Amino acid sequence: MRAARAPPCANISASQLHAQVCRQRMDERTARLLAYVERNVDHFAAACTRCGKCFEACPLARYSGKLAGQAGGAVVTGILDLLQGRGDMPAAIEWARMCCQSAQCVKACPEKLDAMLMVRLARITALGSTGRAPLMADAKRDPNFFRRINAFATLQLTDAEIAEWH
Amino acid sequence: MSGRVVFWYGCNALRHGDIIHGAIAVLKALGIEADPAGGPGYCCGTSKDGNLGAAAGMARRTVEKFNASGRGTVVTWCPSCHRHMATFMQGTSTPHFGVSHITQILHARRAQLAPLLTRRVERRVVLHSHLGFHEVDVAPLVADLLRLVPGVEVTVADYAAPGHMCSALAGTPAALKDVMRTTVDLCAQHGNASLVTIFHACQRILCGLESSDGVKVINYITLLAQSMGVELEDEYSQWKNAGSGQAIVDRIGPERLARVGPEFFSKQILPELLRRPEK
Repeated sequence: MRAARAPPCANISASQLHAQVCRQRMDERTARLLAYVERNVDHFAAACTRCGKCFEACPLARYSGKLAGQAGGAVVTGILDLLQGRGDMPAAIEWARMCCQSAQCVKACPEKLDAMLMVRLARITALGSTGRAPLMADAKRDPNFFRRINAFATLQLTDAEIAEWH
Repeated sequence: MSGRVVFWYGCNALRHGDIIHGAIAVLKALGIEADPAGGPGYCCGTSKDGNLGAAAGMARRTVEKFNASGRGTVVTWCPSCHRHMATFMQGTSTPHFGVSHITQILHARRAQLAPLLTRRVERRVVLHSHLGFHEVDVAPLVADLLRLVPGVEVTVADYAAPGHMCSALAGTPAALKDVMRTTVDLCAQHGNASLVTIFHACQRILCGLESSDGVKVINYITLLAQSMGVELEDEYSQWKNAGSGQAIVDRIGPERLARVGPEFFSKQILPELLRRPEK
């Protein structure tokens, strides 16, 4: 089922229009997930104060030369620009790439935002998954990922278990 | 929660048959009949950040299968699946079930569990934990469970590694090396303690420390099952510590190798098993 075509509107941004065009080309389940992404992007854009405390709390940032010396507020602004399709700040892309889900950013946010989700959405955006041009390579792309999992299942489960459980 | 649940072990836990079988055995001993579900057919889609269409398809398929199961509760093992269910998966389809992490289920029933842990397991253990997975504070729950095991002396280190599992650090090798070094040092400082992992991905990445550094690495659920009298072979760890490719092949045996396919095994499985923990 295709998503309903949205009426043309002069009051939307170029990125929103782009998202609308993408949504018209995708199936309903993907459109629902993209709508979930967009709802959260709008929420973060409206609620985040760009204080940078989430970046400052990140235990991984010190491992990257690209992030050394960066001001938290600037990197977070870069993340929000990335999410809204109007920026490609290298430090923001690097932070999104490195995120290992320590959740320290969530605890550090004075506004009680799920900053980890914000960074994850930036990663999804930078990978080109929402329809924009990719800004980073997908290091997790692995054509044998599921084949390896099936192979380990074959090595450790019985045929009956695999048939019943998978 | 009713007595029958879905036990959703995810994808990558399939490297560890002992973990899956151990979890089912412990749940069953507590009167919880678990319908196991996992593998690629139940993928949450979290590995598909680069392909929103694939992520959406996987997420919806899995939620709809759980809805169709009629079970009111899905018990999760994997923190990535648990987190993805609470966020993106609900963006594709509405779940008609509750979700609990297995550590919450076991901890809530620890009074029932304690008398089942009859076998002594003489081990001083360091609990390996991570900063992440803020949805459930698993480390204190697991520490409490381990303290129920007669013979186990728990040293809950105040060190928590970055990320929610060791695998999350794969993109930052220097951070993973730091975790490895610190972990080995902690075990040495605590009298050559064994290392107890909470999640499968940490077990996968750390278990090679047995042959490289003499650190025994065991998952908490395998340890609980052992104390219940359910002996489970951690074959992944045995393969990882076998010492050579030929020794791994010998342990697996020709029948199982044939089922996987020798060429696929050589190219896709053996390199992983031969990879050593880097420090």
